Amino acid sequence: MAQQRKALWEADLDEDFHDVDLNLAIGNYGQNGLYDDAAQPRIDEATLIAVQQQVAQQAALAAIPDPVKRFIIHFHQAVLDNNLGEITVAYESGWNRLTEKFYAKTEWPEAEVIAPLVNDDQIFLILYRELYYRHVYSRIQPDIDDRYHSYENSCELFNYLLNSDGPVPLELPEQWLWDIIDEFIYQFQSFCVWRSKVKAKTEEELMVLVDGNQVWSSYSVLNVLYSLIQKSKINEHIVALQEGKGKDEINEIVGEYGSRPLYRMLGYFSLIGLLRVHSLLGDFTLALKVMDSVELNQKSPFTRVTACHVTTYYYVGFCYIMLQRYPDAIRAFVSVLNFILRMRQYHTRSYQYDQINKTADRMYALFAICNALSPSRVDDNILNVTKERYGEQLAKMSRGEEGLPAFEELFLYACPKFISANPPPYEEAELLQAYMEDPPTEPAQRHLSLFLADVRAKAPVPTLRSFLKLYTSLDASKLANFLDADEEEMVQQLMVMKRASRSVSRMENEKGLLGGQITSTSDLDFVIDENMVNIAESTVGRRYAGWFIRSTEHAQRVLDTIRHAALPISTIKSAAPAPAHSKDTPTNATATVNPSRSGGQRVAWGASVKAV
Amino acid sequence: MSVATAWATPPTRTELIENLVSGVDRYNPSNVSILEDYLYHQIRSEEYDCLANLAILKLYQFNPDLYNPDVVINILIKALTSTPFPDFNLCISLLDERLVNTNPDEPDPLPSLLPVITELHTLLQQCRFPAFWQLYHSDQAESLRDNYTVECVGFEDSVRNVVVQTVKAAFRRIGSDRFGTYLNLSGNDLTSYVEKLGWTIDSSSGSGVIAIPPNPDNQIESTVVQENIQLPQLVKLIAHAQTA
Repeated sequence: MAQQRKALWEADLDEDFHDVDLNLAIGNYGQNGLYDDAAQPRIDEATLIAVQQQVAQQAALAAIPDPVKRFIIHFHQAVLDNNLGEITVAYESGWNRLTEKFYAKTEWPEAEVIAPLVNDDQIFLILYRELYYRHVYSRIQPDIDDRYHSYENSCELFNYLLNSDGPVPLELPEQWLWDIIDEFIYQFQSFCVWRSKVKAKTEEELMVLVDGNQVWSSYSVLNVLYSLIQKSKINEHIVALQEGKGKDEINEIVGEYGSRPLYRMLGYFSLIGLLRVHSLLGDFTLALKVMDSVELNQKSPFTRVTACHVTTYYYVGFCYIMLQRYPDAIRAFVSVLNFILRMRQYHTRSYQYDQINKTADRMYALFAICNALSPSRVDDNILNVTKERYGEQLAKMSRGEEGLPAFEELFLYACPKFISANPPPYEEAELLQAYMEDPPTEPAQRHLSLFLADVRAKAPVPTLRSFLKLYTSLDASKLANFLDADEEEMVQQLMVMKRASRSVSRMENEKGLLGGQITSTSDLDFVIDENMVNIAESTVGRRYAGWFIRSTEHAQRVLDTIRHAALPISTIKSAAPAPAHSKDTPTNATATVNPSRSGGQRVAWGASVKAV
Repeated sequence: MSVATAWATPPTRTELIENLVSGVDRYNPSNVSILEDYLYHQIRSEEYDCLANLAILKLYQFNPDLYNPDVVINILIKALTSTPFPDFNLCISLLDERLVNTNPDEPDPLPSLLPVITELHTLLQQCRFPAFWQLYHSDQAESLRDNYTVECVGFEDSVRNVVVQTVKAAFRRIGSDRFGTYLNLSGNDLTSYVEKLGWTIDSSSGSGVIAIPPNPDNQIESTVVQENIQLPQLVKLIAHAQTA
């Protein structure tokens, strides 16, 4: 009897394993009366759920394709060994390849499912979850649970990094470190945007939002970034490097956290992260101020990760635009766009490449805006590409008042996705109702209207410029006649134009990004002498030196190469005997040339002789 | 000290404020009163510190319950006087949309005054000075004048300073009538103001023409930007020629 029963049970279990329905099996077991406690059913339920879950996970684990399992184990081993090279390969190519192959439209297996493969290593699971949620946010729409869990996971990760006893013995590639910070801010931004859409929320979502209103709060995000900066003492580090201190001295200054590359790079990337967050919240001066110690040149550490490099310049340029410092913005965009053009052929990793291209496109739009507002002599290369993409808008924008829609279009396309720091009032129902009926304007619209106000103020400038270019001195009333405007109004417009041609611009040796002098940005200058406008234009003489020097050096190089190249002795020797043996060795390539040539000559002679 | 550095770090800022503005303490809501006191100091003593005021607005952004409309209006007024710097726009950028105020006891004056202040700023941006003074003295701006600008020491003088900066850059000589409309001064007031600036009025031709002393902006000359070839650039060329 006992044996029979066991067999039956096992059989049931096998079937149930596939259907994940253990009720029958355990139900039988309970009915046999071995345990009569009233408490038994409750315990059974708990174990039932636990076993159900375990079995489900085991099923899911079995469902994972083998290459993925192997990858996870290999990845885990690399992380344990702190083998930076292996980790980089696994992170950059392995993960993406497997995503394309198996998980292009679905989620990766959950962390709990793969936990047995990695011996429940919590640290690795946190890192795995980071990648898991990144995938969810990019390929699949995250739901509210995803958002909350990804926040919790990020908190756990940063907690582990910042609040363990001493620096953690982990080494990760720089690309990954940048992606952690980047993704953290992106998820914050995504959440704020989602949160402000009040109308589409379900009841459940509303409740969760009220309960968890600390999740993804601005303060917590800023807290993380500032803590990373403080822990790694990155600002002191940069200053010490600039002062040329030695390695030991620097290590002393920055302490045990700052001397480890993991923390140093995280601190550095947090500076760029702060630049981004402050820009998103609309505080442009603070955004530039946090970058005080970072030098914007090709040698800075942020250029090591291309995505970081591009992001930095984009936000710096945008902040300058909002500060109405157009020459500085132009300079920033030109340098990074040149960089992108040059490195395009080296960067074919698809997921990064698309994003960089998209940012580059936005920067071309911003460059077009700056150029229209503050025309200056600028890199022809970039200007040509901009004309290709935005030629229509460029033409419209230089027509003053008519160009406003073009400005609006480009600005909205190219601006960052601004967020508002405060959530809608989910806690109080009547406030929420009022909010829904009369929603405040979106942050992007607010910033747009500020920008357009400035553009509108400068609207008369292009027309005036075109007139002034034609004269060296002109009476104000005559100019008013040309423009069909009142003289006084015209004088005021001239003052606007004068003001527009002066900008604060950062010269070579300014410390920090906010410094600068007032410089003239226009080649057309004028002054009003009571009622007479005197105009002076400055032109650029022909520049030939650079081209001349480059061409000469190129010629030198060619000459040197030829001089040092081996003399082509062999071909001359083989060519000499060839004509003598032309009839005997018709297969000799050079030989066939010669007779055919002489043959051709003969034919020509023959022809001419014949003609005569 | 370069222009923009002076704007970012005014010499009149104390060390306490400097630490607050440049450090992490700026996020601490309990520090808002220090910054607000500093603002009132600026109002009373004709100083101006843009970044400190932006710090106040940022604290309001994150802690809506700290919001004080009087402070905001004072900041905006001060920013008006800083044209052509973009301060006014920066302040507005930080003012998130206000939620509908459900507290009827303390009405919020900002929504009604904001359009007036914005219009004043637009007029200054477009250099429409006579229109500015007209709006400023009209009934619309009455509440603004009575409650706020009257407390701000030297507000009108600061605006006149903006006008003077603009005129200095664009004019070599300007008719005194025109200048008077820009400054909203006439007759003896105008004469004494011009004398205070150190400029001369030449009353020979009718209503007088004011001569503006030369400065980098109103001296213009046609320049041709020539190339400047430095010897080091040619070193490689010459060295190669020597060895060849």
